[in-house]
Amino acid sequence: MDEPKNENNNTEVDKLTKCEQEKEEYLNNWKRERADFLNYKKDELKRLEEFVKFANEAVILEIVEILDDLERAAKELNNEGLDQVLKKFQDLLKKHDVERISVDTAFDPLLHEAVEGAEGDKLEEIRAGYKMHGQVVRPARVKITK
Amino acid sequence: MSKILGIDLGTTNSAMAIVEVGQPRILENKEGMRTTPSITAIGKNGERYVGITAKRQAVTNPKDTIFSVKRLIGRRFSDAEVQHDKNLLPYEVKEGAHGDVEVKMGDKSYKPAEISAMVLQKLKNDAEDRLGEKITEAIITVPAYFDDAQRKATKDAGEIAGLNVKRVINEPTAAALAYGLDKKKDEKIVVYDFGGGTFDISVLEIGDDTIEVKSTGGDTHLGGDDIDQKIIKYFVEEFKKEHGVDVSKDQLALQRMKDAAEKAKHELSSTMQTEVNVPFLTADASGAKHFNVSFSRAKLEELVGDLIERSLELTKKTVEESGFKMSDINEVVMVGGQTRMPMIVEGVKKLFGKDPHKDINPDEVVALGAAVQGGIMQGEIRDVLLLDVTPLSLGIETLGGVFTKMIEKNTTVPTAKTQIFSTAADNQPSVEIHVLQGERAMAHDNKTLGKFILDGIPPAPRGVPQVEVSFDIDANGILNVKAKDKATNKEQSVRIEGSSGLTDEEKKRMTADAEKFAAEDAKKKEAVEVKNLAETLIYTTEKMIKENGAPDATAGAGKIKEEDKKEINDKIEKLKAELKGDNLEEIKKATEELSKVAQRVGAELYKSGAEPQPTPPNPEQEIPKEDPHEKNPKS
Repeated sequence: MDEPKNENNNTEVDKLTKCEQEKEEYLNNWKRERADFLNYKKDELKRLEEFVKFANEAVILEIVEILDDLERAAKELNNEGLDQVLKKFQDLLKKHDVERISVDTAFDPLLHEAVEGAEGDKLEEIRAGYKMHGQVVRPARVKITK
Repeated sequence: MSKILGIDLGTTNSAMAIVEVGQPRILENKEGMRTTPSITAIGKNGERYVGITAKRQAVTNPKDTIFSVKRLIGRRFSDAEVQHDKNLLPYEVKEGAHGDVEVKMGDKSYKPAEISAMVLQKLKNDAEDRLGEKITEAIITVPAYFDDAQRKATKDAGEIAGLNVKRVINEPTAAALAYGLDKKKDEKIVVYDFGGGTFDISVLEIGDDTIEVKSTGGDTHLGGDDIDQKIIKYFVEEFKKEHGVDVSKDQLALQRMKDAAEKAKHELSSTMQTEVNVPFLTADASGAKHFNVSFSRAKLEELVGDLIERSLELTKKTVEESGFKMSDINEVVMVGGQTRMPMIVEGVKKLFGKDPHKDINPDEVVALGAAVQGGIMQGEIRDVLLLDVTPLSLGIETLGGVFTKMIEKNTTVPTAKTQIFSTAADNQPSVEIHVLQGERAMAHDNKTLGKFILDGIPPAPRGVPQVEVSFDIDANGILNVKAKDKATNKEQSVRIEGSSGLTDEEKKRMTADAEKFAAEDAKKKEAVEVKNLAETLIYTTEKMIKENGAPDATAGAGKIKEEDKKEINDKIEKLKAELKGDNLEEIKKATEELSKVAQRVGAELYKSGAEPQPTPPNPEQEIPKEDPHEKNPKS
């Protein structure tokens, strides 16, 4: 008579152990999921801040493309009015913390993109480069000369 | 548990992704870009460049800039491909000690795996910077046609970079994983991968636990770059035709033409026509020369049609080689930036008679799939995949038969939403909660899931009682809808099982109908809203007159002048007359007129210190009494 009771007890204990293991596992998974979610929210917030900071980037890049053409025109036409328009554009960029990349330095592939030339240590600007909030949004295209 | 990095180690560009909260996400590199050029270089001063910096200095340093090393990895020097490619590559490709391939960069020779390792190491470091944690494990993808040696060499590259490569998986398999197609048992899938420099086609079959590659094909020297070249050539020819100047040898002019070609190509993916403007392209004795041409999608397709046609021929051939018929193919997946081109999408659609999968960014889908594989191995995806989404929106019917959504479609369940509604008539004793599912604007165009009545609402003017309606879907998709009168706390509810018990066809049809009838539905909804607004205004102005205009009224008696009262009554009658018809413009006009007078009179009441008119209730949130199709709720 005792034996079957023991067996019953054993299955009950097994069941309980299994339940406890499962509980532990589910609780841990739930905690992990919560933590993942909270971390995800924090990351998302950071990404959002970055996104807002650079939300204008696409428009700025289109503007500087037109500015390239305006600069070419200004060089060609030598017109005071056009120079003033250029100045207004440059002020607009400055207002949005967009800064032109200098080419009076040694070649630096973090800032410059070489399109011609091999030897030499002087850079000739072929297309202006720009930084926005300190980050390169368009590298300066340069020709390397002696 | 650290994350497993999914890496698409491409011929031209590489990308990386991780799984976060059960979803794969692309990680940007240190420069903030979502893809990284698979290029390494040793600069003049001995410094090493990897990625975009290597690309930017390539022109000045062609001999020590290594790109496309994926074409060489794991191959024998004597392979026909190596012999072919070595003539196209500007850097030195030579035979190693064991008949393998070596490339020279700076004054050292490297195995292709060592070069790939430099790219992988940059990805690893950038990922660690982004995530703020160590990355030690990765899944790396390779083309389906890679043999054992090429796979082994790719794995070696990962290990040299300090990564424990958990698995090397096929690129088309990764793409299928990103779309969750691994769960579609017995399906046959074609992956059409038109990248920057290579075109790969693969036929896959989903088994119980495996995705088997049945055949592969393509052209290792056909890609988006060929399309760009054709456009540039056309632009150069057009310029010569117009100005008699050949710019094909002018590197700087060519560079600008290349920029213009890429831009035009991208624009023509969404528009039919674009204006190409390259001012001051060059100059001769007569002055500056500008390039200006109107470039149409038709012209682009004429220029590159043969390339696309070739890719489709190769696709057909590869499917034949798999032993399947074109009609056997269940799904088609698009990979590679070039597949954004409408002509390619159309061609593939025509070939298979079905819409290809193209929702995931085709430049990122392989890396995302690699991350998914990592997630599956970590058990992260499995857990989350149990979470379903609502296939269609759920909501209730409100005044005028409008369907008011409570839970939008594609919301991950379990989820709950609560909103306060009110009555549509004075002293309305009950509200009927009509629960519906669908995307159409009007209730009767959607599917009824259940109905119940909440009664015993104490007598009150319309818009005053607060009925709190809650929708709750549990993890098993069982929907509980509850309505509670906030004044009495009386509540009623309904439990709807299998609210997503729709067949795939039904879901598709309902979603398609919603799109098809969108404009018509919007009109109907507007009509109801205009009428609701008019009725609400009549109600509030009548109430204002009753309370402030009647000579024997208690509060604020006789505050409204007789002539104003008459004017308001006239306008109300006019609006009521208009409401009998269906001329929305007239109803709007009459509403506007009544509103103007009512506002003026209301303002005078304010000044005289009388009780102002009550805030009009929001008609959209009113629930009519039992008969939902009744246009004018009874008082």
